[in-house]
Amino acid sequence: MKGLLLKDLYMAAKYCRAFLVIVAIFLAISFFGGDNIFFIIYPTMIAGIIPMTLISYDERDKWMLYSGTLPYSKAQLVSVKYLIGLIFGGSTLLVSMAAAAVRMQLNGYFSLSELFATGAALLVLGLIGPTLLLPFVFKFGAEKGRIAFYLMMGIICAIAAILAGLGFQTILLMNQPGVLGLICGGAILLYILSWRLSILFYRKREL
Amino acid sequence: MNALEIRNLTKQYQDFCLDHLNLTLPCGCIMGLIGENGAGKSTAIKLILDMVRKDSGSITIFGQDNQKDLKLSKQEIGVVLDDVGIPECLTAKQVGNIMRHTFSKWDDVLYTNYLKKLSLPSNKPFHDFSRGMKMKLGIAAALSHHPKLLILDEATSGLDPVVRDEVIEMFGEFTRDESHSVLISSHIVSDLEKICDYIAFLHKGKLLLCEEKDRLLEQYGLLQCTKEQLSELNPTAIKGKKISPYGAQALVLRDKIPGGMNVSPISIEELFIFMVKESA
Repeated sequence: MKGLLLKDLYMAAKYCRAFLVIVAIFLAISFFGGDNIFFIIYPTMIAGIIPMTLISYDERDKWMLYSGTLPYSKAQLVSVKYLIGLIFGGSTLLVSMAAAAVRMQLNGYFSLSELFATGAALLVLGLIGPTLLLPFVFKFGAEKGRIAFYLMMGIICAIAAILAGLGFQTILLMNQPGVLGLICGGAILLYILSWRLSILFYRKREL
Repeated sequence: MNALEIRNLTKQYQDFCLDHLNLTLPCGCIMGLIGENGAGKSTAIKLILDMVRKDSGSITIFGQDNQKDLKLSKQEIGVVLDDVGIPECLTAKQVGNIMRHTFSKWDDVLYTNYLKKLSLPSNKPFHDFSRGMKMKLGIAAALSHHPKLLILDEATSGLDPVVRDEVIEMFGEFTRDESHSVLISSHIVSDLEKICDYIAFLHKGKLLLCEEKDRLLEQYGLLQCTKEQLSELNPTAIKGKKISPYGAQALVLRDKIPGGMNVSPISIEELFIFMVKESA
């Protein structure tokens, strides 16, 4: 699977350069954003859609067909996209958490519990996109998946707004390790289920 | 041993059916799969590589069922598709790096030699390549892991005659090793006529014939005669005909034609056209 991963990293380096700029700008803005965590969350959410972007390019370039002729299983072809999601999402999450810590310092306070709560929020919002979209993309292809993507982004934004209204961050800030653990565990479990579902869908899909 | 054996392979789509396909490709041979666009050539290749599910029939590659350990079998197969399928942003060097981690027998030196031989730049992105260069890179990648079976789907279409000749020569070189075999599909019959040992005609999902090329050229001939002369012949000798106000032209079995008649050699392309028209 190393070859597949290398190919996706080459493609990400070419097509996702703008993403690095977005991360840098948004995190820089976040330092001056007061309590607004949008600028911290957005880069992680964008990182979550990198696997879908790569699949779109794969389909355009007919890689999906060509990869079927190479000695890789369909499970490996699916897994590499989830791995890419973790690599980019995970590193963005870590950078964002570091930026959140810096912001706290700049604002004159530092709270480890708030930092972990922010990390939990980032994890959930970063994983929600690929978790929901990748099975759809592997079943129907990137074009139809793109329609689902716009729908999903609308839904995610609505959920984020509702959660913010309900004081989601405050729930996280309750600093109940059990609550945080449950939320993070649930998000990771759903990501794993999504991965298994995508493998099932892709095995049935005819190239 | 046979490189490839296909028995009663059937795949039904809504508007097309690949119907009970039977093919045998012996090791060391080149088989040309000839058919018009939509005849079922690509479907057959996708079924061989298990990219689509068959409805019935069996496929064996080097004696192994293609659904058992196909990942292992694919280490021995080089494939070039009509659209190549290499991501547009990658350079030949990057493709080499990817394939090194994909094929256990990947040979960097061989790949570099192919790039040099085919005048392919190693640091230019794929999207800047011409159609011919793209195809040549696909072929270099398919040959650089020492495959035993090469599967080429319309690999010569859209290429200019010089590049086509160059590419066909490479396939010929590949089969100098007796353990190497090639299955090549094309609708450009003249390309296949040059290099193939076996010819298979596919038309609307049905196999019209599969035979050694030399035997086909020995068996069949082109008869030029009058309509009256044609009507006097044994009907089983005539496999296809064209009647015009100027006379008749027929595809015939040479051994069933009386001596002294004007039977000339037939090309594979003419044979294919006659057979397709006759089956219509």
